[in-house]
Amino acid sequence: MSNVISFNDVSLRFGGVQALKNVSFEIEENSLFAIIGPNGAGKTSILNCINGIYKPTSGSINIFDQDSKDLHPDNIANLGVSRTFQNIELFENMTALDNILIGAHRHVDYGPVRSLLFSKKVRQEEEKARKISEDVIDFLEIEEYRYSYILSLPYGIQKRIELARALAMQPKVLLLDEPAAGMNNEETEDIARFILDVHEELGITVVLIDHDMNMVMDIATDVVVMDFGEKLFQGDPQEAAKNQKVIDAYLGVG
Amino acid sequence: MKKRPDLYTNYRNESSIFPTTFQKFWFGLLLVSSFAAPFILSSYWVLLITTSLLIAIASWGLNVVSGYAGQVNLGHGVFVGIGTYVSSVLGGVATTSVIGYELDMIIWLPLSGLAATLIGIILSPVSARLKGLNLGLVTLALVFIGSHFFSNLKFITGGAGLGRKAAKLTFMGIDLEAGITFGNFILEKNDFIYFFSLILCILLGLGVKNITRSKIGRAFSAIRDRDIAAEALGINLFKYKMYAFGISSFYGGIAGSLLFTLSGGVEPGSFSLLYSITFVAIVIIGGVGTVLGPLFGAFFFTMLPGIIQALLHAFGVGDAGFIFNPAEIERIVFAFFIIFFLIFEPRGMWGIWFRLRNYFKAWPFSY
Repeated sequence: MSNVISFNDVSLRFGGVQALKNVSFEIEENSLFAIIGPNGAGKTSILNCINGIYKPTSGSINIFDQDSKDLHPDNIANLGVSRTFQNIELFENMTALDNILIGAHRHVDYGPVRSLLFSKKVRQEEEKARKISEDVIDFLEIEEYRYSYILSLPYGIQKRIELARALAMQPKVLLLDEPAAGMNNEETEDIARFILDVHEELGITVVLIDHDMNMVMDIATDVVVMDFGEKLFQGDPQEAAKNQKVIDAYLGVG
Repeated sequence: MKKRPDLYTNYRNESSIFPTTFQKFWFGLLLVSSFAAPFILSSYWVLLITTSLLIAIASWGLNVVSGYAGQVNLGHGVFVGIGTYVSSVLGGVATTSVIGYELDMIIWLPLSGLAATLIGIILSPVSARLKGLNLGLVTLALVFIGSHFFSNLKFITGGAGLGRKAAKLTFMGIDLEAGITFGNFILEKNDFIYFFSLILCILLGLGVKNITRSKIGRAFSAIRDRDIAAEALGINLFKYKMYAFGISSFYGGIAGSLLFTLSGGVEPGSFSLLYSITFVAIVIIGGVGTVLGPLFGAFFFTMLPGIIQALLHAFGVGDAGFIFNPAEIERIVFAFFIIFFLIFEPRGMWGIWFRLRNYFKAWPFSY
């Protein structure tokens, strides 16, 4: 299997804060890759680096064997890297459907002049975008919230709509930043099911950050444990649970 | 079998502008009565409505860049000015002090829009670097740079305090300046400007609606709400901000090209800071980020002086001896409305209209 994303000796520094310290790992195609670690360990920084929102201070990141140094976040998105955010970053003044349609942005192809005239091509492309969105809505079972404004929806549903928006991009890699944060057991189970479906049915490589150890251990195929910006461990989730360093830093003695 | 009235059976129907026959009917009626207006209303009202329509076009432009794409622009009046002067130079008459080429409307109308677009696109990279108040300050600087150029490029504008004549109305070789007589009827110059404004207003209004219901409009709103998320979803911020400024200044330029043909002359002092701020006020009062809002706002702004005058006259105040003169009262009332709408009705007049409409839709069951 080939690598989708590889980190080569990546360091990230904000003034005096070392967010990442010489981190290297590879994410294989079709894996369900989990990043775990205590707060401030640099997990979200890793996602932001993949995404191009942060640029590494040193080292390089390859996405689909392409150096991401000169790529903007939108270029990286157009390579097929999609994501959700830790604190929901939905567009609040729009309906759920419009949010998901924005997710399908890269599949819609026309310029501003065509848009002003709403030409035949626009109508076709809009219909295409709508079909992509409807597929995702169907997949995540959020039909009833289609026309609801984001602010009027409960937290759990907002999380799911953000996942829908990310999926409407039809990505090759999906980055999920704490998809189960703040959810009860039932909602966590739902989300875990959807993540597995995304991974298995749609064949998307998933990179997952979460603090819910039961869920991560259950569904992940690979795991990286971070602590203070350094990689502690990489490998099988079951082995991670037995690793003494991981237990000391994060899992604790149960 | 009778169809359910509000049931959409396909995606295309759902995104159409007038999805129901009811809406089509009212729009049609409005259209017909609009075209009949010059034959019915007095020339004073035609003038007011024409001004409203043109200001609505310019306000739509500002609404695209500020209301939809969320880029603060306090210098929209400059784009209107650019449109005005491009049309004046291309369509105006040359004198000893100013240049003019007396070209046909069909040339200067689109060119004045495109020239403004070009300037807008040139300035748009600034917005890729700056956000919010900082961008606002830069656009404020634009107003002063614009004023400086307008006052000092004397061979184009005639210079401060003097001004020049606006473009001449020649459409497809027909001179409309003197008006045309049809039997008993005389269509004056301003009636023609009304028709042109009306047609442009309809076309450009549909254009705004088209943008908002397509990918471009969605991308604008995404940038306004959360630019980082928008970028992570594959929206090129630089490109879309450029589109927003381009479209916005196109609307401003088109509106400007006709706006001053009404009075026949234009003075550089017109494009002051107050003029640019007026558009911001119109968009806020009408409804930020809505299609109909700027139209409402423009009519409100244009009609307000007349309404206030009539009220003052009715109550007998505002004559000599009163502490404020009518123009001052007008400004105070307008400022009051801005504050009122910002605090109590952020969606502007559109918001009021929206609630009224929904109330009567469900009438007599108001809940």
